[in-house]
Amino acid sequence: MKLQLSQIALLSTSLLAINASAAEQIVLNVASAGSQNMVDYVKTYLAPKFEAAHPGVSVRVFGTGPGDAGSHKIMEKLEAQQKNNAQTWDIDVAVVHQKIGGEMKNKDLLSQYRSEVNTSNLVSRDSATNALGVNVDGYVMPMFHSQTAIAYNSDLVKQVPQSYDELVQWAQDHPKAFGYNGIKNGMSGVSFVTGWIYAYGSDAEQLSQLPYKPELKNSWTDAFAQLKSFNNNVTFTPGNAGTLDMLNRGEIVMGPVWVDMFYSWKDSGKIPPSMKLALIAPGMPGQPMYYVVPDKASQADLAKAFIELATSPEVQAEGIVERFNWYPGIDAQHVKSQMEDASWNKLFAEISPSDLSRKGKNFPIAAYFDDIKESYERQVAN
Amino acid sequence: MLEKRSYSVVMVVPALAIILVFFIYPLLFSLHSALTDSEGNLSLIHIYKAFELYSKDILFTFLIVIISIFLIGVLSITIGGLIALSPYKRLVAALSFIYRWPLFIPFIVSAQMMRTFLAKNGLMNNAFVSLGLLEPLDAISFLGWTGIIFTFVWKQTAFSTLMVSGAMAALEPTQIQSARNLGASKLRILFQIIIPQIIPTLGVSLILSAVSILSVLSVPLMIGTGSPTMLTADMAFRISSYGDYGTANSLGLISYLFAAVLAWFYLRHSLNTGIKK
Amino acid sequence: MMSTSISTNELSNIKLSMLRPKWGKYVQALFILALALLIFGPLLNLLIWSVAETWYYPHKLPLTWGFKYWEQVFGSDSDVYSSLLTSLAIAILTVLVCLLVSIPAAYALARRSLPFRAAVMLIFLLPQAFPNIAVYMNVARIFYYWDLNGTILGVVLVHTVHGLMFSIWITVAAFSSVDPQQELAARNIGAGPIKVFFSVSLPQAMPGIIASCIFVFLESLDEFTGTFFVGAPEITTLPLLLYTASMEGNYQIASITAMVLLVPSISFMLLVDRFIKPEMLSKIGH
Repeated sequence: MKLQLSQIALLSTSLLAINASAAEQIVLNVASAGSQNMVDYVKTYLAPKFEAAHPGVSVRVFGTGPGDAGSHKIMEKLEAQQKNNAQTWDIDVAVVHQKIGGEMKNKDLLSQYRSEVNTSNLVSRDSATNALGVNVDGYVMPMFHSQTAIAYNSDLVKQVPQSYDELVQWAQDHPKAFGYNGIKNGMSGVSFVTGWIYAYGSDAEQLSQLPYKPELKNSWTDAFAQLKSFNNNVTFTPGNAGTLDMLNRGEIVMGPVWVDMFYSWKDSGKIPPSMKLALIAPGMPGQPMYYVVPDKASQADLAKAFIELATSPEVQAEGIVERFNWYPGIDAQHVKSQMEDASWNKLFAEISPSDLSRKGKNFPIAAYFDDIKESYERQVAN
Repeated sequence: MLEKRSYSVVMVVPALAIILVFFIYPLLFSLHSALTDSEGNLSLIHIYKAFELYSKDILFTFLIVIISIFLIGVLSITIGGLIALSPYKRLVAALSFIYRWPLFIPFIVSAQMMRTFLAKNGLMNNAFVSLGLLEPLDAISFLGWTGIIFTFVWKQTAFSTLMVSGAMAALEPTQIQSARNLGASKLRILFQIIIPQIIPTLGVSLILSAVSILSVLSVPLMIGTGSPTMLTADMAFRISSYGDYGTANSLGLISYLFAAVLAWFYLRHSLNTGIKK
Repeated sequence: MMSTSISTNELSNIKLSMLRPKWGKYVQALFILALALLIFGPLLNLLIWSVAETWYYPHKLPLTWGFKYWEQVFGSDSDVYSSLLTSLAIAILTVLVCLLVSIPAAYALARRSLPFRAAVMLIFLLPQAFPNIAVYMNVARIFYYWDLNGTILGVVLVHTVHGLMFSIWITVAAFSSVDPQQELAARNIGAGPIKVFFSVSLPQAMPGIIASCIFVFLESLDEFTGTFFVGAPEITTLPLLLYTASMEGNYQIASITAMVLLVPSISFMLLVDRFIKPEMLSKIGH
């Protein structure tokens, strides 16, 4: 017993000493927000690749949790170090959501690194320079583009709703068979609600750009009232994964999901092959995940090299598209040329490119976004 | 003597300092943040917002707490009473072995178990269906308020029963024996002799349970569905989604007040009975 | 008069004992059975999930069983192992810090006529009397400025605050039960106060102190909310890992992690009688 105790004590002290020994080997700290599949991508795919190319460097990856909350944690951490006037900050590369990426830039937490990365000219998409109304040109590189859509069990759903109107009708005909996770428990539910406002409140184009008009939210009262009565016909699920899980367990037959998570689950056999996706009109939001480098990252050069690797056409083709079936972060033509048509086309097996370009919307700018969430709490949840 | 006193003060100071710096200070911080506006003036603006957005969740939380502690109280008196009074030694042994299993099981582990146990097609409903007690189509999910209550009762009853049955064991056995000799029924012994004497212990155990229910974040996040949900989940959401500490702390203040009201009820009751005695 | 009334009572008792107890026995047995099912059902469910490799609706039991996920959890690049070490390190450090501050404090509170003794005792109860989540969010905010967020030390401090109630209250009770005559006798034969403390008081209080350590250890090992606010993302303890796995729908990983956490909880539960005396419990609240 005594021996065991002393062993444990030894272990715990050696654990504390990790920081000390880290000085001998260069450590690149990568913080990733988002669901486990994203953290796993960085940890099991990117990090080993980078370590192989840079001997003596070890990549330490930590996930900070799903949704904006995970990104928020990274921002809070950096903000505190900024206020404390720390010489160097603890995070070298961060993967954050679009909204928080913009906020971080506004708070001077980010370095303008993009021009120093060789892959910078491979991105031309608007969301690489504009984060929900914040100009982030030069501060971010997209990791991949993430989209929400409606997943359904094709064994049970024959007439698939093609629009919010049809979905409302469908939910009325099949009470409690549609499920989503509200807005407090992950972003797929938030996306569904945002799409609802795009359909019945103000259109996506107006909400996705400045100027911000605070009075606009008053015109959504009817939309939220309809949503409240729609909610009587739905089942609430516990989280992004909760929706997928309930689909799998046959407890709901339809619900909003992240396309990337959907593919990961399908790939590992956690949902049956009968599950399909539909992107309903007028559209649902999607967003890029950003690679950012904090302003005072201690390993800024390695951080840039890491992002350069992650946004290279080879890695985007092999890692993002082929392995994980995610939409690439850099422009499509650079990725497509790296791979066979068959695997490229797999990306669009469920949602056609034209649907994606017509119905894949941006999230609203931050102020409208908060308005949507808070009005939901005020008028729908309470 | 004075020297001795100052020694003992010095011995208490480190422990006291830890509580002051890492608990009392943040507690005051939370009150300050709940009750001041962005300019630092005293204001009820956050409290107002908390009620405006979350009045349903506040009510929901209180109902969950009240129903849970009521069930915990009933169950722990039943179990404690059986252990104290049942003549069947084997049953008593089995019961005292069984009831305490959840005692030290963490809330988060309980939540994980219930998440899959209580789901619509979870083990419990599946078992009912297999036994023919339930038609598959009638199966409903218990994830939601029933599941939250089930989890809290499942976890906290052990603690409350342990305290209650400890208090029962410490009663003078001669009292019960003489009541028995006078022909009092078991039920009467329980209600008229045992329960009045263990009320203080029961009260404390229920208040401690209520406070832990008001503090647990994992259960509403994992079992609940977000609408309505408990205040703990709202606090976490308010911070992670908007960075809004004012409203979050107002919700915290509301939960302090609720715990205080329960404690006040208890104190008033025990003072009253104390005077009667 | 007296004797007749007793004998009628005895008579009715005999009648009752012929009729009621059987019923009573069945009802009681049924109640205990129901309780057992409700208590062990969820535990069994956890066990099944930990060895379920695939489990689809509408199958009532897993399609394939196996230890695939156990291998994954205890494999070389698993997070569980390192979180387990982190959890253990934090719990042990918390116990040490609690011991360090609560032994002198409890000794003083138990032995000496301390001013405001009752008030001081109550202060240690506070962390259990307030819903602590609201406090933890603010601790996290304060710790950002003290650079304690996301450090082992920060988490240990939060756990210590929570654990102090157990360690102080139980240790005070332990020191109170030390016989003051023995201490006095030791003093009389010339032993200094420190020697008396280590040779008389401490050994006698040891069982109570050990019990308090176990409480603090378990509390720390199982703590989620405080670690969630103060430790994450850098510090991942087992409860945090379990939470993430569960929210991600990785029920097998979550169940196995849960089972790891159950080992100390259940072992201590089985031994609880040795450490907690009913007499001690009954004093709480009086």
